[in-house]
Amino acid sequence: MIAFGLPKGRNLGPARAALSAAGLNLDGLGSSRLRQRFPDQYVLETPVEVLLLKDWDLPLYVEHGIVDCAIVGSDVLEETQPDVFRPLQLRDGRSRLSLIAETPGLPKRSGQLRAATRYPAWAARLLAERNLHVEVIHLTSSIELGPLLDLTDVAVDIVQTGGTLRAHDLHEVEVLAEVAPTFVVNRASFHAHRRRLSRLLGALEEREAGDD
Amino acid sequence: MKISAGLPTGVSAALFDSARRRRRLEARLSGLLEERGFAEVLLPILDYFEPYRPLLTGRRLEQLYRFVDRDGQLLVLRGDFTPMLARLLAPHLDELELPLRLYYRGDVVRHQPLRPGRMREYSQLGAELLGGDEAEADEGMLTLFLDLLLEARGAEGDALSGTGAGSQPEGRCTDSESEAERTGEDAALRVVLGAAGALDEALLAAGEQEASDLALRIASRDRAAARRAGLAEVVERGYPSDLSVLGEAAGAVSELVALRDRLAAAYRSRGIEIEVDLAEFAAAALDRRIGVAAGPRGYYDGLMFAAYAPGTALALGVGGRYDRVFRSLSGDCSAVGFSFGLDLLLELGAAEARS
Repeated sequence: MIAFGLPKGRNLGPARAALSAAGLNLDGLGSSRLRQRFPDQYVLETPVEVLLLKDWDLPLYVEHGIVDCAIVGSDVLEETQPDVFRPLQLRDGRSRLSLIAETPGLPKRSGQLRAATRYPAWAARLLAERNLHVEVIHLTSSIELGPLLDLTDVAVDIVQTGGTLRAHDLHEVEVLAEVAPTFVVNRASFHAHRRRLSRLLGALEEREAGDD
Repeated sequence: MKISAGLPTGVSAALFDSARRRRRLEARLSGLLEERGFAEVLLPILDYFEPYRPLLTGRRLEQLYRFVDRDGQLLVLRGDFTPMLARLLAPHLDELELPLRLYYRGDVVRHQPLRPGRMREYSQLGAELLGGDEAEADEGMLTLFLDLLLEARGAEGDALSGTGAGSQPEGRCTDSESEAERTGEDAALRVVLGAAGALDEALLAAGEQEASDLALRIASRDRAAARRAGLAEVVERGYPSDLSVLGEAAGAVSELVALRDRLAAAYRSRGIEIEVDLAEFAAAALDRRIGVAAGPRGYYDGLMFAAYAPGTALALGVGGRYDRVFRSLSGDCSAVGFSFGLDLLLELGAAEARS
């Protein structure tokens, strides 16, 4: 049996669609049950167990080998830096990590800028790469409120459609990184199920290529 | 002042039954090593820092706990046995009767990020073979590594069941999984083989600037990056079907495949699957050519191997050929060795049951 961790949030739809298109039969997968078993998987030739978990917890479950593999946002991987394999990224569900401000450019400050983000480590790395020395403030939700309520000068957050920014008259100053749902595998599980996972990953790749 | 009952981050005490289990495992593995003609060495926990500058790559060097003692000397706590052994033996190679078979056990400490199963202080048991015919030494030490894995699993099987459990855990195979079992898909233990630097030529074809990033991506099994570099098969099946794409390394990888073939059948029947997987060690040796810090396995320069068990986050043990360590110490001696994480081996029975 191979255990999959799938995210409860915005990545569940793309993850489920991609795995189904690659040949996994996940009929009946619902968000109300934490743990569900799906027999008869011809792609993997072994049953599949799916655990629905929070995006931020998934890397830890994969690292510990509680689940063999998972689909998790690359934003979470960049922030948490887990020791897992990352064989491919999905095309659907992509977004971007952007620098956001109330003005079209960076606000002018005599001192250090302050940035609100839910990704303190990743944001600090990306901003330092651009020679922007910014004090990073860790928020867990409603990041756009940082600059709107003058807690910070800017925000660093995920932008998908830009609807939230428009609704609050905020500007996307710069795209810092692309974000994509990423298929990750536990090291030991990769070796234990190499042939099976290679078949699935090959099917996923074909599906992704077919979307071009 | 109130004294905390806890211990510093990343260290733990083995009390009562866990202490007994560890000592029992040590005794079984040491017994096998003694049977095979290996002699135990006891190494100090303190050493000078200076000798390790040329031996260790960036990250491993940074992980050493170092401090200035009351005499003003910069000292380190033991972070690895192999470089310490090499630096102690290198000045005396002329006086030693080679081949020399040594083993050690004890704790090492490294200031490293905490990960599942990775503490800052942990117990290792390892063995080194200095001198002798290189090909024979490689195969002999790999075989010893595999036999110690079986011994460790036997020890944990005994501890879990209270009987002399065999090497294959009971109840793992069902009729529907028999095909997978036959092909080794569900083998409880996996040992992957590689050769340090096997992908260097292919990686450097992408340019020196890109090679390091590409190596890390391939080590992470990034299929898109591997395909762009013409190394798709390396992440899919472990090595290319046409070895000529590896340039000068083709011969070494061909020998590696032959080594795998010689050992695979005998160990598959005992529950260990052996595979060649060059991606596993993609980032291990680039530093030789372009000065890139190669990570924790940076001092190997030939055969490399690592063992995994389902449900464990880290390799149970790693090893390989490290002649370059002696060369960097102005010594001329072939050397191959390995070490196991004893805490990880103790987890083996529980991890197999969980998987």
